[in-house]
Amino acid sequence: MKSTKSNITRRRLLASGLAAPFVSMMPGVLTPARANETVKLQFMYPVGVSGDINTIISGMIADFNATHDGIEVEAIYAGSYDNTEQKVITALGVGEPPALWLPINSSLQTFLGLDALEDVTEQAKSDDIYDDFIGGFLDTAVSDGRLYGLSYQPSTPVLYYNKDAYAQAGIDKAPETWDELLETAKALTIRDGDELKRWGLIIGGGWHDWMFEGYCRQNGLVPWEKDKVLWDRPEAIEALSFWKTMVDAGCMAPASTWQGSANDFMAGSTAMLYHSTGSLTNLRKSSPFEVGVAFMPKKKQFGASQGGGPIMIAKNQSDAKKEAAWTFARWMTNTENQAAWSRATGYLAVRKSSWQQPEMVDYLKEVPQAEVAMKQAEFSGAFLQVPAYSRARDSLKSAIDRTLAGEIAPEAALTDATAEVNREIARVLRRQKS
Amino acid sequence: MSPSFARARRKEMLLAYALLLPSLVFLAIFTYWPILRSVWFSLHDVLLGDPDIYWLGAENYLRLLDDRLFWKVLGNTAFYTLTTIPLSIAVALLLAVALDSKLRGMAIYRSAFFYPVMIPSVAAGMVWVFLYAPGYGPINEALTTLGLPRLDWLYDSQWALPAIVIMSIWKYSGYFMLILLAALKLVPSDLYEAARLDGVSGWHRLLHITIPLVSPTLYFVIIIGTLHSYQIFDYVYVMTQGGPADSTNVLTFYIYQNGFQYQDIGYASALANALLVFVLGLIGLVALTLGRKVHYLGER
Repeated sequence: MKSTKSNITRRRLLASGLAAPFVSMMPGVLTPARANETVKLQFMYPVGVSGDINTIISGMIADFNATHDGIEVEAIYAGSYDNTEQKVITALGVGEPPALWLPINSSLQTFLGLDALEDVTEQAKSDDIYDDFIGGFLDTAVSDGRLYGLSYQPSTPVLYYNKDAYAQAGIDKAPETWDELLETAKALTIRDGDELKRWGLIIGGGWHDWMFEGYCRQNGLVPWEKDKVLWDRPEAIEALSFWKTMVDAGCMAPASTWQGSANDFMAGSTAMLYHSTGSLTNLRKSSPFEVGVAFMPKKKQFGASQGGGPIMIAKNQSDAKKEAAWTFARWMTNTENQAAWSRATGYLAVRKSSWQQPEMVDYLKEVPQAEVAMKQAEFSGAFLQVPAYSRARDSLKSAIDRTLAGEIAPEAALTDATAEVNREIARVLRRQKS
Repeated sequence: MSPSFARARRKEMLLAYALLLPSLVFLAIFTYWPILRSVWFSLHDVLLGDPDIYWLGAENYLRLLDDRLFWKVLGNTAFYTLTTIPLSIAVALLLAVALDSKLRGMAIYRSAFFYPVMIPSVAAGMVWVFLYAPGYGPINEALTTLGLPRLDWLYDSQWALPAIVIMSIWKYSGYFMLILLAALKLVPSDLYEAARLDGVSGWHRLLHITIPLVSPTLYFVIIIGTLHSYQIFDYVYVMTQGGPADSTNVLTFYIYQNGFQYQDIGYASALANALLVFVLGLIGLVALTLGRKVHYLGER
């Protein structure tokens, strides 16, 4: 294929010519006279779970600004993970990315495809990052042995359950296998004639493809490789067939939304919920009943995919900004901050040392639920790190939705989606090669 | 034609172009140039965030033919357009006729029916998400009171799109009503009086006097409604994100997904051009059928 430069470059040239007189006044540009001025950084982040996370993050950033002369971080709450990614990519397109951003870990290949990420391997090696970060979390920001970010808010889905509902139904422990899950969900569903009063189980919509990847892992399959998805394998088809069985049994909602499902759980409209561990603190504090947390039940083994993501640093910016950005990312992921962040939200602290902090040890005694996801993380891996992951996610969600709505059989849905997505991945890779 | 007349005419033309120029420049920069660019992009592999583009020829258009979701989305858009426009205009016309009287307090009724138009669409969408909530939503409560079965509305792939249609009718009828009301004021009242003297029933007066005489406005409203309805994006974005099972995904949302979520600007451009053809076709269809039936008062 022939490469033609779009006239973005021409426009940029024109713009830079117009901007030249002002450049020396810009904060990131270090001229000798201005070397002692404050470096301003933009940090774009999403809120990916249930609860008032935005207040917590902007509070942390305010603390950082108050304690760091010479650096000022502008907190930009950018909506969902998708919104955040779109804002960053659009900014990259006009050559003015934010200094740092916090995406979902699946987007790693997308940003690498745009050559947008600063390689932080050397800085991390000369620091304690490789020693103190929990390996499985750091891995989600690694591609070909190089590190492109600091894990900030790793999570896995967990099974939340309403302990009051369990007591009423005479259930004394959370299900550990798929079969037990089906039986438990049936026992917890309440209907009044045709009218449903309470679901046995809701799998948080909008991220149900993430949960589905967990089901594949529980059935012994990591459903993707670097350059393709494997949803047409028997393990995946069996997982989707199991979901369909639960829906057909009338004990699992066929569709839901991410915030809506958390609200339904807190309102008692469902007795069990698959949601991110990042929602733990909010669910625990806002529910009028005691909340239990358990591993997602297994088929062949326990398994989960990691959500959440690393703080990434833009490649296309001045060295002064990069240095300041590293300082900020390093601070957000230091021992105390990670421990506090984990307690405030339910996200998993990324540092081993955070888990040994006295406050954390006390907290885990008081809220043993918080440890479940950490233990489950042992059985977890990165989430769908393929090129074109965003389209891949939507295709899989559509395949699952159509199956659960009874429009198509599990095998046909997954075979179609696999072919469709692998074609798209091939298209993106062809572009990267040329 | 005398030379002086020709000169005057040329002068007039120059003035006309001079007056048109500012808006032409605007249109050229913000409308025509982007359209040409999207045609150009649709023939390339264009990745959002990357300045390099690669020639593909017709590949993006061939992908359209093979894209299951594209056809579904096209069907959804057509369903939405073909239900929302006739229904909301019918409701608007009935409201306008009912409110075209000199009774006291009419201003309050008119404002009441116009009110939904003034609500920002994102806010309206969020309110309707609550209204449609399966568990505690007022609409399901009302259905239960009436002895009808409860529905899952936005969570049900059969009902999600009709739910958005119902909400759109609520949102747009008031707007169309206002325009039609203005048209009704221009219908000469002696026509009604004559009809009444001849013993023509209310229904026939509507059919044979009102509708023909407001038909230019009706025609305008249909065109505006068509434009409105293919532009629907906000409700889908706020209420369903195209789900469940793609049942509410419409062309504008699918273009957004491809362009901004999947960074596939080339394909999004091909979709946008397909949308352009769709809309032009629709408007052409309306012009060739309904447009011919319009009655204009006076000489035309």
